[in-house]
Amino acid sequence: MMRETLKLIGLILLLLISQYSKAQEIEEKITISFTDELATEALLKIESTTNYRFYYVEDWLGENRFSGTYSNATITDILDDLFNETVINYYLLNGTKVILTRNNIIYDQLPEGFFEEAPVLPEESEDISPVTTNPVFTTAQKRKEVIPTRTFRIGKEDGNSNKKSFKLKGFVTDNDTNAPIDNVSIIRKGTGRGTTTDDKGYYEIILPAGENMLELRSLGFTGSENRVVIYNDGSLNFLLTESLEQLDAVLIDAKAESNVEDATTGTTVIDVKKIKNIPLVLGERDILKVATTLPGIANAGEGSAGFNVRGGNADQNLFLLDDAVIYNPSHFFGIFSGINPFTTGGVTIYKGNIPAEYGGRLSSVFDLTTKDANASEFAGEASIGPVTSSLALEIPIEKDKAALLVGGRSTYSDWILRSLDDEALKNSQANFYDIVVKYNHKLGEDDQLKATGYYSKDNFSITSDSIFKYSNRAASLRWDHQFNDKHNGSVILANSQYKFNIDFDGDANNDFDLGYDITETELKLKMGYNHSEAHKFDYGISTKLYNSNPGSISPINNSIVVPVDIASERALESAIFISDEFTVSDRLLLSAGFRFSTFTALGSAFQNIYADGLPKNEGTFIESQEFGNNEAIKTYTGPEFRLSSRYFLDEALSVKASYNNTYQYIHTLTNNTTISPTDTWKLSDLNIEPQRAQQYSLGLYKNLKENEFELSLEGYYKTAENILDFKTGAQLLLNENIEREVLQGEGQAYGVEFLLRKSKGRLNGWFGYTYSRSLIKFESDFSEETINNGDYFPSNFDKPHDLSLVANYKLTQRFSLSANFVYQTGRPVTVPVGNFVINNSEFVLYSDRNEFRIPDYYRLDISLNVEGNHKIKKLAHSFWNLSIYNVLGRNNPYSVFFVNEDGQVKAFQSSIFAIPIPTITYNFQF
Amino acid sequence: MKHINTIYRLFLLFAIISVLGGCTEEISFKTENLESALVIEATITNEIKNHEILLSRTYKFEADGPIPEENATVVMVSESGTFNFTENESGKYVSTQSFSAQPGLDYVLKISTANGESYSSKPTRLTTTTDIGDLYAERRTNDTEEDGVSIFVDTYDPTGTSQYYRFEYEESYKVVAPKWRANDLVVIDPEWPACSVELVPKTDERRVCFATDTSNTLILGTTANLEEDRLSRFEVRRVNTDNYIIGHRYSILVRQYVQSNEAFSYFSNLQEFSESESLFSQVQPGFFSGNISSETNSEDKVIGFFELTYVSEKRIFFNYNDLFPGVDQPPYVSPCFEFAPVRDQGHPTDECGLLITALLNNEISYWMENPEPESIETGPYLMVPIVCGDCTELGSNVAPDFWVEE
Repeated sequence: MMRETLKLIGLILLLLISQYSKAQEIEEKITISFTDELATEALLKIESTTNYRFYYVEDWLGENRFSGTYSNATITDILDDLFNETVINYYLLNGTKVILTRNNIIYDQLPEGFFEEAPVLPEESEDISPVTTNPVFTTAQKRKEVIPTRTFRIGKEDGNSNKKSFKLKGFVTDNDTNAPIDNVSIIRKGTGRGTTTDDKGYYEIILPAGENMLELRSLGFTGSENRVVIYNDGSLNFLLTESLEQLDAVLIDAKAESNVEDATTGTTVIDVKKIKNIPLVLGERDILKVATTLPGIANAGEGSAGFNVRGGNADQNLFLLDDAVIYNPSHFFGIFSGINPFTTGGVTIYKGNIPAEYGGRLSSVFDLTTKDANASEFAGEASIGPVTSSLALEIPIEKDKAALLVGGRSTYSDWILRSLDDEALKNSQANFYDIVVKYNHKLGEDDQLKATGYYSKDNFSITSDSIFKYSNRAASLRWDHQFNDKHNGSVILANSQYKFNIDFDGDANNDFDLGYDITETELKLKMGYNHSEAHKFDYGISTKLYNSNPGSISPINNSIVVPVDIASERALESAIFISDEFTVSDRLLLSAGFRFSTFTALGSAFQNIYADGLPKNEGTFIESQEFGNNEAIKTYTGPEFRLSSRYFLDEALSVKASYNNTYQYIHTLTNNTTISPTDTWKLSDLNIEPQRAQQYSLGLYKNLKENEFELSLEGYYKTAENILDFKTGAQLLLNENIEREVLQGEGQAYGVEFLLRKSKGRLNGWFGYTYSRSLIKFESDFSEETINNGDYFPSNFDKPHDLSLVANYKLTQRFSLSANFVYQTGRPVTVPVGNFVINNSEFVLYSDRNEFRIPDYYRLDISLNVEGNHKIKKLAHSFWNLSIYNVLGRNNPYSVFFVNEDGQVKAFQSSIFAIPIPTITYNFQF
Repeated sequence: MKHINTIYRLFLLFAIISVLGGCTEEISFKTENLESALVIEATITNEIKNHEILLSRTYKFEADGPIPEENATVVMVSESGTFNFTENESGKYVSTQSFSAQPGLDYVLKISTANGESYSSKPTRLTTTTDIGDLYAERRTNDTEEDGVSIFVDTYDPTGTSQYYRFEYEESYKVVAPKWRANDLVVIDPEWPACSVELVPKTDERRVCFATDTSNTLILGTTANLEEDRLSRFEVRRVNTDNYIIGHRYSILVRQYVQSNEAFSYFSNLQEFSESESLFSQVQPGFFSGNISSETNSEDKVIGFFELTYVSEKRIFFNYNDLFPGVDQPPYVSPCFEFAPVRDQGHPTDECGLLITALLNNEISYWMENPEPESIETGPYLMVPIVCGDCTELGSNVAPDFWVEE
């Protein structure tokens, strides 16, 4: 068929120049049937029984097989079916000639409802003619995706006006679902300038009078190029079609252009849809684990909960699920993330410059968004894995307006434990589940309501006498309103809770029930003001009330445990924020944000007063001061600057710089080297000051080959004050005088992050390398407040070299292979500097902290992904993933510890996944 | 709330190892930069005796044991006078006079080492006078469904001021050699071709012996989080029924030390840093000081706690049959297989056999004549490992002074 290519090009040219009309009058009726045939075979069959002749490039048609029976059908019926779910469009020319095109539609009229409520209608449709500006059909062209171009004329020319530019506004929606598409970049070609749609799909752009080429691009959608001839203000809506090509071609994408275009540094976007090919551990698709393969985001080791972003502590990350905080987004001590992959749309991680609207944590914001349910059609997705199963349903409530998303996930690990041939484990239980519900309602053109609820729970009982539970709860309600072309706003109400509980039911007189919880409620108003093309303001106000019960213990079963109830803590954290995206010139973009946060610890409470300038301990304790209900104990304020800039060195090369400072008023209390679910959160008070950090970053960003390759090199330097550590052996749980155990010190982190990402083509993935250091210092005139002689020493997660490679190779339409390689410097640990004997028993002496490192970590995972066949009108689309985690069987040490066994100290090393772990997961969408 | 952490960590440890293919393995470790620190064991009690203070230095992980600190000057000063300690064996300093710690007085320990460093303790007082309460043995199945005996302590302090307890025990048990014979086989001539042996009657007790072991872990208990100072069913020792030491008659002496809060937290830190760790979260280890510090160099690390502690003790006895009527005896420490080592290897080796060398090395014990005829492949007697015929391998053939039968 290749020989027909030339003929085809000729035909197209002819088509473009000549007048034509759609010849539908004399449509031939066809009776034909296909059984599992390739598209090429089907077309030949049609050609052999009818007068229709097809013009196409054979390669386009792929390997999809097709079945169907037709009697007295029209050619369009058959072709619609045949090319459904493909990128092929067709056009009927002169009744019997059928031209097949890839991606681009040859328009001869506008789709219905294209201009929804357009105040100023474009001129008569005859003027809207399909125009191609580039040679679309050359097979030699490397770029696979071809963008259709359309021309729109906006507004009537007003001879009396001398305005030089006009405003175009409108919505971008999904062709299939009508759902708004956010983050679509709308760029004026040749200028590199433009805008993006907000989360309602709305955009506004100022265009100079006359002809403009607008390029629309969005992840997961076929882009489009549009010629807009503008004579006056007007509106224009765009429909984008989901690009199937993208589904498995792009693993992860931070909006290709935004790499070089945005002003912010250190922003990472992960789209859940794009990570499904990445090898899994125990069958779990885990968005947060994927995040750790990107530069700057690490955890202390596999199986450790918590993330260390750019050398920050694990408590310095703000996890937001649809605006509500999640305190512990992990299950099973960190092996699994608490985020359901099937309901999550994506996550944006701000590790460099944090937008001014967010605050309260030093290092990063993980902004997780739940998918909006499809409001036009019922849909679902289910997955069956070796450890968990999950189900997500999208339920339309009111056609095209309101829909509900329900997702749940649960383990059957209890069953696994029970089937083990080990007495100790047989009587144990370990299970978890999480549920997400999201309701979205489009109230009108300008209003949208979203409500999300989340609950996760973990349960463990490994010894017969204790049960340990922890749970997260989060709920948010959000109302978005578009006031007018320039103003929009959102009101958000969010509530979150984290709690844990230990029930101990032993043999003696000390049975107890121990509990901890923290609750926060936030109200936030966020406004957007598109002042002009040069200035876009975001501003708002937020206030948050914390309530914490730092710990209580009560006797059960007639035990004589003394009930202890550490006095509850309350505090109010509020902020006002404003930011401006200021487009100074075509090349220079400034983003200036300012946030002013205040934190007030509230009564009623008793606060210990200690002698000034001395370590806080029993000896320096002066008095306990009482504060009445709602009386301000202490107020801290913090001006926070979020400044960044981007300068284009050339069209695809930019340099960005940013400065950022943050305040954190809430701290985890932990004396473990890694995060643990019994860690509690402590609010700042009279004795514990807020943590502060500053970060400077500078980066170079380059896109190559039409955004096929993204390259970034970013360096940062960060300092922190008042970070928390604890005295050796401190008891933190149920401690009424916690400030006596707390040390506050300084931190310093710096690093260089390199990322190369290829997001298109059969081979795609990314390579990341980070060199970074994370150091901390606890210096004081008093030895009890000093660690390592007051010198800087590596933090528990200081891993200088961190390399990861994620690659996905598409073998055929249905089969793809993925691999994932990670290498990291071993983390620092504290090891003994000598042994000694006391009371007939051997012990070890620990001295300077983190002087030793465990062996380096490396791991290779591979997976084979099999897509169910692409049969049309099939009930469900299925997807198999076969993964082997740690193929090399590398015994990566997780910790080294020293245990006294029978009077003698022995050294042990533990690892979590010491052998290759194969898993198979089955997913299906319906 | 130490016990909460312990529980939590324990179950973590179990949890995941077998489920997820994780593993914990012993590794060889070497101390790279030994930090030499003085280790002081100074527990002075209310007992009237010559008290001992042990001084040593830290040693490398791979080394055999502590290095005694010799030639130091050790004195204890109180309002009632000065007590001198002299070194009567390497690193062991014994008070020159017999005394008991008195309540209500401050005592300070002062040490000067041979290298010119001097150390002193904070003033310390004798703890509350609370005697050990009930000590009893109970048959109990543990968490992992194993049968055995638990030794429990109940202690009650109505004043509520004791609160912190440390226990030590000394267990003594009767061992009966299961394959004891009245005769010993002795080597008369170990030279080939004689290789002669002879049966002679045993001259001393080799069947029933008494062994004594002392505790080698820290056993700490507290009532600090309880409404009353009542330690109840506190397990100081656990022996499973597969352990031969409880096979006949067993006695345990439990010494209860009432500790100060500071001493207790020092010892519980020691304990915490030497316990099993969880796979997922490890307590941050580090140095923690006791109540002794260097006077010459404040950066100097000193290990140990100077305590004046009220001690009391109790002893109980039990027979296996009392606790486990009708239950099979625990297996003996050795399976006691019988075998017939060759006496004479004959030509062409021209050497005596294993029987002679093993007898000379005191490794085997006579059981009976071999019913098979002697050859160069089998010896003339059936023998058993020495421990099966001679209990002195495990203990003393003299009953301890305190020992009472039934």
